[in-house]
Parts: sequence; C-alpha cells; structure tokens
Amino acid sequence: MALTPETLPRHELNGLPVRVVESDDASRVGLAGRVVIETTKTLSIEVRRDGESRVVMVPKSGSTFEFAITDDAADDRRGTLDGFPDEIREPEKGSGTASKLANTEPAGDTEDRSSSAADRAGGDAADCRDDVPSRDRRRAAGEDVAYVTVDGSRLLSRPARRTETSGDSPWQ
Amino acid sequence: MDIAAERIERLHSLARAAAADGADDRARYYVRLARRVAERNRLTLPRAFRQFTCDRCDTYLRPGKNARVRVRDGHVVITCDCGAHARYPYEG
Repeated sequence: MALTPETLPRHELNGLPVRVVESDDASRVGLAGRVVIETTKTLSIEVRRDGESRVVMVPKSGSTFEFAITDDAADDRRGTLDGFPDEIREPEKGSGTASKLANTEPAGDTEDRSSSAADRAGGDAADCRDDVPSRDRRRAAGEDVAYVTVDGSRLLSRPARRTETSGDSPWQ
Repeated sequence: MDIAAERIERLHSLARAAAADGADDRARYYVRLARRVAERNRLTLPRAFRQFTCDRCDTYLRPGKNARVRVRDGHVVITCDCGAHARYPYEG
C-alpha cells in the first residue's frame, strides 16, 4: 500500500511537503514547507525562505493541511523539492481521479477509517469518510503530484498509532 | 508491503538524512518513532537500520562521525559515541 490520498492519514507525515490552507490563526495560513516533527496534537513544519530555515509548530486541530504526494516524497535530498514550487502550483484542470476514488473508497477503507475515528474524540466512521474533503490530482511540469487536503482534526492521534487498524491484532 | 513497513523505510531515510545534516536530535526522534512503529506492528526492523542505530541512545550511527568500527577476531565492534558497543560476527 503505497502512499496515496486514501492512505495518507494513516501514513508517515514526516518529510512530506505541506501547506497550511486554513487555520484558526490567520498568520499561519499559507505556511509551506516540510513536516519534520509530528506529535499527537501538532505538526512542526520546516519553512525555508532565502536559504534560512525555521521550524514552525502548528496545532493539528483548527488547521487544514494540504499535503503534496510525489514519487520522491521521502527523498534524502531535502530541499530539492522545497515546499511547493510555483510551476507545480499552476492550476491545470485535472481531477481525473473521481472515478477511481469512487471505487476505492467504500471498499477496503471502511475499517481503516473507523480506527482513526476511534482515535478522535467523538466522531463516527461515516463522518470521517466525508471528512477527507477535497482531493485533487493535477498533472503539471511532467511530474505527477497529488495534493491531498486533510482536516487537521483527522490526524489527531499518536504518530506511531495512526497506522493501526482496529480489530487487526492477533492478540484479540 | 503494508503501511507500517513503508513508514519504517521512510523514517530510516529521514533519520539518515537528518544525521547527515548534523541534526542528531531529529535523527534520534525518527529512529525512536520507527522503533515504536515496528514494535506496535510486530515487524522486524531492516538489518541496516538495526546495525546503524545505537541500542542505548537511539542515535543514527555514521561511522567516522559518531561511531567507531573496529574489526576484531571473528567480529566487528561498532562503538557509539555514547559508549555502547555492538558486536556482529562474521565468517571466514
């Protein structure tokens, strides 16, 4: 199971290029960089500007994040794909994944979602599925980049435990 | 390969990159997270990960930087800067 828009909330976030699209604190909107540290309730984003980098801690709740999924998401060469280059950001019409999403969504993912729902305070699986709001995939600059917008409250869980699915344990 | 194994691989390369950048604390954070993920999902960590991380202080080891590699009779000793030794046998 590769890193796809469907698996992103359960996958590793460290190292992914991210952008804050909505936040309770207006000054955080538009921050773009890479996730370097994740805690239960926050993401630390390394923002690079003019060669200098600083790390900003953003609370998950109350923010909406846009992750970019590229082939070299976990690349060793940090900084080569720094945040969101402008040419990739050019909106070309896309969203060709609609049919694919319709196939994959209800099938295998119901159980996965319910586990992350359990982690959140008071949410049910159905909510959760609708919660992954807009996923748009655009093709630009000859590179396949998928942008996934996730509400921060969906990511509220311990970093090591987000991957797990409920009822999967051989001990139960 | 399931998500947990992929996470471990990603964290491994992140830890290596962080250690190369000199961000030792961040590398340690990635190593600890990878260990925790492996533990929770009952996976075996890759051998390269096991041998180049310190069991005692979770540092990502880079021979020549923060680790000493010495060949002894029948085994290799990797010593972390924190003082922990790890011995790996070899044949021949």
